[in-house]
Amino acid sequence: MTQAIGTTAGSDGIAIRRRRRPATPYVLLIPAVAALLIGLGYPVYWQIVTSLQEFGLMQQFGAPPTFVGLDNYARIFTDAEVWSVVAKSIAFCLVNALLTVGIGLGLAVLMRAVSGWVRITMQITLLLAWATPLVAAVTVFRWLFDYRTGVVNWIFVQSGFESFDGYNWLGNVWTFFMVASFIVIWMSVPFVALSIYAGLTQVSEEVLEAARIDGAGSRQILWRIIMPLVRPVIAIVLLLQIIWDLRVFAQIRLLQDAGAPIAETNLLGNYIYELGVGSQDFAGAAAVSLFVLVLTMVLSGPYVRYLMKEDAA
Amino acid sequence: MKRTRLVAATAASTITLAMALTACASDDTEAPADSEETTSESGEVEPGDLTLWVAGGDTPDELREYLVDTFEAENEGSTLTIEEQDWGDLVTKLTTSLPDAENTPDVVELGNTQAPTFTNAGAFREISPELYEELGGDNLLQSFVEAGSVDGTVYALPYYFGSRYMFYRADIWSDAGIEVPTTLAEFGDAVTELRTDDMSGFALGGQDWRNGISWVFANGGELAVKEGEEWVSTLSDENTIAGLEQWQDVYEGASNVPATERDVAYWDFLNDKAEGGAPDAATIMAPGWARWSIGDLTENDEGEEVRDGMADDSKFDIFALPGVDGGVAPVFAGGSNMAVSAQSQHPELSENLLRIIYSDEYQTMLAENGLGPANTEFNSIMETDKFGEITVETAENSKLTPAAPGWAAVEGASVYEELFQKIAEGGDVTELAAEYDETITPMLNGQAG
Amino acid sequence: MSAVAADTVAPTATTPQRTPLRRRRVRPGKVLLSVLGLALAAVWVFPVYWMMNSAVTPDAILGGDTPQFLPLSFTLTNLQSVLTDSGFLNALGMSLMVTGLTITLVLAFAFLAALAISRWRFRGRTSFILAVLFIQMLPAEGLFIAQYQMMSSLGLLNQVIGISALYVAMLVPFTVWMLRGFVAGVPIELEEAAMVDGLSRPRAFLRITFPLLAPGLIASGVYAFLQAWNEFTTALVILPAESAQTLPIWLRSFLSASANRGINWAEVMAASTLIAVPVIIFFLFVQGRMTSGLVSGAVKG
Repeated sequence: MTQAIGTTAGSDGIAIRRRRRPATPYVLLIPAVAALLIGLGYPVYWQIVTSLQEFGLMQQFGAPPTFVGLDNYARIFTDAEVWSVVAKSIAFCLVNALLTVGIGLGLAVLMRAVSGWVRITMQITLLLAWATPLVAAVTVFRWLFDYRTGVVNWIFVQSGFESFDGYNWLGNVWTFFMVASFIVIWMSVPFVALSIYAGLTQVSEEVLEAARIDGAGSRQILWRIIMPLVRPVIAIVLLLQIIWDLRVFAQIRLLQDAGAPIAETNLLGNYIYELGVGSQDFAGAAAVSLFVLVLTMVLSGPYVRYLMKEDAA
Repeated sequence: MKRTRLVAATAASTITLAMALTACASDDTEAPADSEETTSESGEVEPGDLTLWVAGGDTPDELREYLVDTFEAENEGSTLTIEEQDWGDLVTKLTTSLPDAENTPDVVELGNTQAPTFTNAGAFREISPELYEELGGDNLLQSFVEAGSVDGTVYALPYYFGSRYMFYRADIWSDAGIEVPTTLAEFGDAVTELRTDDMSGFALGGQDWRNGISWVFANGGELAVKEGEEWVSTLSDENTIAGLEQWQDVYEGASNVPATERDVAYWDFLNDKAEGGAPDAATIMAPGWARWSIGDLTENDEGEEVRDGMADDSKFDIFALPGVDGGVAPVFAGGSNMAVSAQSQHPELSENLLRIIYSDEYQTMLAENGLGPANTEFNSIMETDKFGEITVETAENSKLTPAAPGWAAVEGASVYEELFQKIAEGGDVTELAAEYDETITPMLNGQAG
Repeated sequence: MSAVAADTVAPTATTPQRTPLRRRRVRPGKVLLSVLGLALAAVWVFPVYWMMNSAVTPDAILGGDTPQFLPLSFTLTNLQSVLTDSGFLNALGMSLMVTGLTITLVLAFAFLAALAISRWRFRGRTSFILAVLFIQMLPAEGLFIAQYQMMSSLGLLNQVIGISALYVAMLVPFTVWMLRGFVAGVPIELEEAAMVDGLSRPRAFLRITFPLLAPGLIASGVYAFLQAWNEFTTALVILPAESAQTLPIWLRSFLSASANRGINWAEVMAASTLIAVPVIIFFLFVQGRMTSGLVSGAVKG
């Protein structure tokens, strides 16, 4: 009896599954793949085709589009503005992703170090920030930094910095991106901090105690024991932040609504949107989109390879 | 001004509508999309559900209700749904919805500066000469008709116009001993003198080119002209440059508003502050309806705190922006056009709706609500008080932006916002003008990039 | 508040060795760290606090030169006037339906896919994982026209199903990625042991593995919930009718309508608060499980 069941279980077990090619995993993938095809199949196809055509408002209203080959790509590659937007987006993305993960890591380590109720307070505040919907968050920050009635200027003025009276944070490209970064970081740190904290709680106390007995200092413990153990979490969280921060769109657009230098504060998402819907150059927008996709794949390539290796291990 | 939301079409009725459309389509598969209205055998127009898009909250509730009631009474069995679209998203929505026969709104309002682009793209149904005559013909505001025409064929009609004039704090001006100016240069000097650290002499955001181009027009400049078949940006024209430089001086001398501000609710700047002290500005430039957001606080019939609409004219008053040599400066005519979607499934019902909009009753209602009526015969209704008089006076001198096919693209990419911001920040006008001429000319002709 | 506290303690209590340790080593540095922690918490919560505080303060006072940091002039008029705006409840209903349908489908689809890639090695597995990762890199801002055309030709504009289908496609990749860690974290041996005890494979799965995965599903569900609840650019295009607005669209038009008249910050903040409240309620509900979900997911990455 036991023997029989054991055999059945064994024939189903992982070792065998690898050798045969069962249908089950493919069946399990059907809904996800179907959802992706339905939601993205036609749009991606349209984007590829459109990027090879001359496609403006006339075509949108029914004029037949003409095939122009790679003209649109040639056009965007020779446009200095595209490259400046790309550079800005990459810089914005890296700065924000690194700051977010750095701050998140710091908060996670801090949460582990402090006692119960302080930690709970920190967790609740992080959850509240995480739960604030994006449009609401941008609106609040817009007001905090409002040049006429914002609290930030008021605090500066009260602390003796009179020059901040009526200072327009969104008016200058650098301070604009600073405010945008505050929003992005404020909104994404909770996810990072809580994930890393969750990882930290898995580092067993016995290991740490053993290290202490062996005379390791707290700095050594942090860098030699804790960090290597949570490294996979940090790696994934960082990759996700990089992908997401490169695609920042709504935060910038909603901030621009408040009055800002527009062209200079555009990041890739906004540039594509403005090129397409704003200037009715749909072909150019499609070409830039596909270029961004390839660029992101290339940039994250080494990193993805590393992750896949970890996955295979 | 509470926003009306005529939520007639719930999810359920949308489904019904979709089903009705499908049924329609299967019934007369022969009928091409732009055919005349499917008429029943008796020759009557078949009932349908019409959708009208209005842009922003400028059309008052009372007028919307009138349109719905009248339309539904005159077209038995048909319904009218009015949906309000946000100005900021209007171009996006027009771009996606108008080409789509199944979901297009039947009649749309769009900004007069957006009209040429969509008209040129073939988004609208032709207004036949007969209908044009019936709706008011040459009495309709001609500059707006031109914005909605291609090669003599009319596609989009004027809906309303609003012109901009100056609202000022009479008490502050007279305390400073400054008279209402009679030339544009005097105006600049006056508002520069009035400016303090806490109060703009004239509140003006740097990106606010719609107010700013009045200085260009006043100096005889143009933004763009059509040379042969091509549109050419004419910022480097000496008159245009003179206007831009004069505007730069006014901005730098008189405004405390940041160079990056646009579409500011300036009206609030004139009101007394809650905690006392000088208002944020002594002068603003705004469309006529701004009046109702200015004044002392008072209670309306419902007990809500509202502004009294500048009742105290020793404190709040108005004047038209003076021209370079006196008179009235040509200002930018704000306003919008009205057109029937080329893909509308109910062209005859849509024309019936236009008949109501251009009826004497509705034009009168527009004028009474301070919106410049499309039919100029009704201007006189507005001229019963100083606000109406000045509206008509400035409108007669107003100008539109170029009717170039790519104009909406220029606006969509915020090019003029950028240019005016750079000028406000003290940039060299001649250099900037040359730089932006190069950017704008290809965009005007609808060439990408 | 106390209920929340109890929930939050639960996951941390799973490491029982910690309590005695802490008692032994009370260092003065710890006080400093606690102060730092509380200060950071205060910084993080301030925008939320400011939003809620402003929501219950009359606009006239907000417009003043001196900000009011405490709700001394408490009023409900702002919240009332937002709630009586006919659009709000309608948009709330729409948002709830779209979000509900989206997370249900996303979790179901992504879970099955995660199961496939973490339990089986098969040809195409690596390609699938890579595709899932790369799809997230495609900028969504260029897709609107095509998405509109597609939904329009299917008759799904302004419909919950239409927008949800797009959201599902947008969210499945990340959710697969996240759930993969959770599924891999449940040892298959447990399931096999149950089968030794006489349960069929599906029953063993439902009885043993599935409950262990619940926290992971909740943690992923929270992410999907937030994304669907917050999304506004696709919704703007796919839900053009006013009657089909979701909350973010409604808030934006509320904001721009307000901007026309000189922004009434009190009402805008009241509207923002009302949008945040359902999310906060949802979070408080799932919060305890979510934290433990993050714990188990985190180990496996």
